[in-house]
Amino acid sequence: MAQYDFKKITVVPTGNDLIDIVLSRTQRQTPTVIHKGNAISRVRQFYMRKVKFTETNFTDKLSKTIEDFPRVEDIHPFYGDLLHVLYNKDHYKLALGQLNTARNLIKRIREDYVKLLKYGDSLYRCKSLKRAALGRMCTVTKRIGPSLAYLEHVRQHMARLPSINTGAPTILICGCPNVGKSSFLNKITRADVEVQPYAFTTKSLFVGHTDYKYLRYQVIDTPGLLDRPLEDRNIIEMCSVTALVNLHAAILFFLDLSGSCGYSISQQAALFHSIKMMFRNNPVLIVCNKTDLQTLEGLSGEDLKLVMEMKSAALDVLLTMSTITDEGVMAVKNAACQRLLDQRSERKMKSKKMPTVLNRFHVAMPKPRDQKERPVCIPQAVLEARAEEAAHEERKTEKDIENENGGAGVYSASLRKHYILADDDWKLDILPEFLDGHNVYDFIDPDILQRVEELEREESAVEEDGGDFEIEDEDFTAEAEKDLQEIRKRKKLLIQKHRIKKSTAESRPTVPRKFDKDRKFTTERMGRQLSSLGIDPSRAIERARSRSVSRKGRKRERSVGGDGEDEMEIDGGLDNKKKLRLRSRSIEGFKDSAQKMKAVTMARNATKKRNKDARRGEADRVIPTLRPKHLFSGKRSIGKTDRR
Amino acid sequence: MPQGDYIELHRKRHGYRLDHFERKRKKEAREVHKHSERAQKSLGIKGKMIAKKNYKEKVQMKRTLKMHEESSSRRKVDDEVQEGAVPAYLLDRETTTRAKILSNTIKQKRKEKAGKWEVPLPKVRPVAEDEMFKVLRSGKRKTKQWKRMVTKATFVGPGFTRKPPKYERFIRPSGLRFTKAHVTHPELKCTFNLEIIGVKKNPNGPMYTSLGVMTKGTIIEVNVSELGLVTPGGKVVWGKYAQVTNNPENDGCINAVLLV
Repeated sequence: MAQYDFKKITVVPTGNDLIDIVLSRTQRQTPTVIHKGNAISRVRQFYMRKVKFTETNFTDKLSKTIEDFPRVEDIHPFYGDLLHVLYNKDHYKLALGQLNTARNLIKRIREDYVKLLKYGDSLYRCKSLKRAALGRMCTVTKRIGPSLAYLEHVRQHMARLPSINTGAPTILICGCPNVGKSSFLNKITRADVEVQPYAFTTKSLFVGHTDYKYLRYQVIDTPGLLDRPLEDRNIIEMCSVTALVNLHAAILFFLDLSGSCGYSISQQAALFHSIKMMFRNNPVLIVCNKTDLQTLEGLSGEDLKLVMEMKSAALDVLLTMSTITDEGVMAVKNAACQRLLDQRSERKMKSKKMPTVLNRFHVAMPKPRDQKERPVCIPQAVLEARAEEAAHEERKTEKDIENENGGAGVYSASLRKHYILADDDWKLDILPEFLDGHNVYDFIDPDILQRVEELEREESAVEEDGGDFEIEDEDFTAEAEKDLQEIRKRKKLLIQKHRIKKSTAESRPTVPRKFDKDRKFTTERMGRQLSSLGIDPSRAIERARSRSVSRKGRKRERSVGGDGEDEMEIDGGLDNKKKLRLRSRSIEGFKDSAQKMKAVTMARNATKKRNKDARRGEADRVIPTLRPKHLFSGKRSIGKTDRR
Repeated sequence: MPQGDYIELHRKRHGYRLDHFERKRKKEAREVHKHSERAQKSLGIKGKMIAKKNYKEKVQMKRTLKMHEESSSRRKVDDEVQEGAVPAYLLDRETTTRAKILSNTIKQKRKEKAGKWEVPLPKVRPVAEDEMFKVLRSGKRKTKQWKRMVTKATFVGPGFTRKPPKYERFIRPSGLRFTKAHVTHPELKCTFNLEIIGVKKNPNGPMYTSLGVMTKGTIIEVNVSELGLVTPGGKVVWGKYAQVTNNPENDGCINAVLLV
């Protein structure tokens, strides 16, 4: 039998959501551009494709939902009944039916409109037809909105139902409210069901799993049943009735002997007899709970008679237990599991498949070769080890001490017991934390003793030497004194220079070497350096001087014999110097007219751009609109819009 | 029956997380910013849809605010007396009018004779012939152009059989034939899907009426037995006129308004 998994049903979207999904899919996954000028067949094809695509999507989504939901007739009767109890089979079927009709309607719409599109003779007409088609499909979907919402609700509910395997060995716990069914479940399985003193704490079926003889049993806890006719039962009770009727399980009927659940034994007996019909072939065990409050022997005569009646009706098995004191709980579980196992094996044996399976089994016993006895052989070392272990005393652990002295919250272990110190008396000393407003820990040095020793050693060494390390001034002569001053001065200068060099460009003006302010790099300096090297500096100085451009500009030398000659003579042989004298006022400041023309052109070119930008001059940097809207608006499909 | 209550159970047993309420409050406060971020970042159709939805909400909010504002302000009540108003004890007794009470059917018959109708759409855009018909070429060399195919919605009637194709001049394609119309009752304001009985008059010309072409403004006769109307005389009305209000070839359906 299959394990039903209602969690795999796809989410059912609401009506509006479904419309949004399908329409946006159509918009994204079909071509979007078509023009009036395109051939009419292309236009038709374009719009027909959209209509068909939308219809396909709607149909797919609706079909998926219709198929995912289980059909009440096709699943195990337990689940079928459960679904009916919880969701009302009719309503459920109606909702699914509505989805089906919607699907068919959408198909019909598509057929009609595709037919009409064939007669579309203009882009506008085709577009209107497509719009009408999609609109109609959406209207149909909107109309089934409530059904979709209901189905989504059902799906969420169904996904949270406990997964009960209808074929696995099952133990069913039933009885009146408050008799101790959920506590029993908590005891034998890892299920953590709420246990409270009020009735109907358990409002639904809860499943736990337990093991017995290497088999996994599911234990199902049901809500309490009240003694009333079937028609009057509410949904919660109907859940447990469904489980009782449809599942093949060992049934544990719980009795509360003390009556603290609020129902007397006679009432409980009446309930038992009324639901006896539902047990059918299942093994039934009567379990008397809460024996710590009232034992079976202590019952009055009539009550005992009722209990015995029940026992005779149910396989003659009566067990007592108490979930609070834990006595008899395991016995009950084992008994139930055993009964169920026996019944299941019996059934399997009787089934038609058994002989075929049995034929495949063959237990082979090896034939004894001779009559020699071959007993168990354990090596001596192992025996000795075992004996030692048994004799070995258990070491008292810290945990045992803790448990002795009151448990985890009461006793705190003293971790100082095992400190390794020079003097054992110091183990329990309290260390001071503050002293004079300072943290003692800030001043602790683990090597303090070592350092003290070192210092003492040094001091003793110094004392031996006899001591002073100061320099005496009388050792120096006057010249040495002067040299010392000299050295100190130079050192200072070097340091200053170095500091200037190190200063960054931001803090000091970067003047190129050309304009060295200090005027260090002079020809005299060069001359001195070269002569110190032993080279005649005069030629180098001359050359440097002739090529240098002084700050005042190039000196204009007068021509050697220029006074008497005609000034207007322009001769190729004459050098530039003559021409220079001949220049007119209009090219003042420039080398010659060509240079001036160039300068003028450059000035005009610069002003052209400025005039176009309506700038008043070079320095006009006004921005009329700092943030024009057309440059600062808009979204980006990817990335941030930090910069424009 | 679901067992999704493990969360509540845990809360019952162990209480909430220490920072639960603070986190919840902060998350809700952040929602506003997230909403705005989504609205600003979404591109394309999604952005437009979000903007549309936000605009609707904004309009709603403005309306409710205005409504609240209205009630909080007080205005002078205008209790002016109309001219010629007379107190009840001075009113004349009702004079009887002597006029013939004509039944609705007689009125309709008279109107029909006169040929004048009060219709919801008095003026309709005229449809040219080249818009109405498509020329079909026929003949061995496809030179003959006397066949026309109707490009608008038509109604042909249940007993319709085509003329032999060789002589058929006007072709009414079956894909454009409609039998039902969505008829709205102007007073009840509800729409019914009623069968068409026939085309009464097409404003573009008698030729179109005889062809059964239905364009905007055409008067059609529909089967209203669904509505269960009864004449004062006790007879059941089963046919009424309606006027087409849309362009059926663009919408794929015929929408009409009942002429009461």
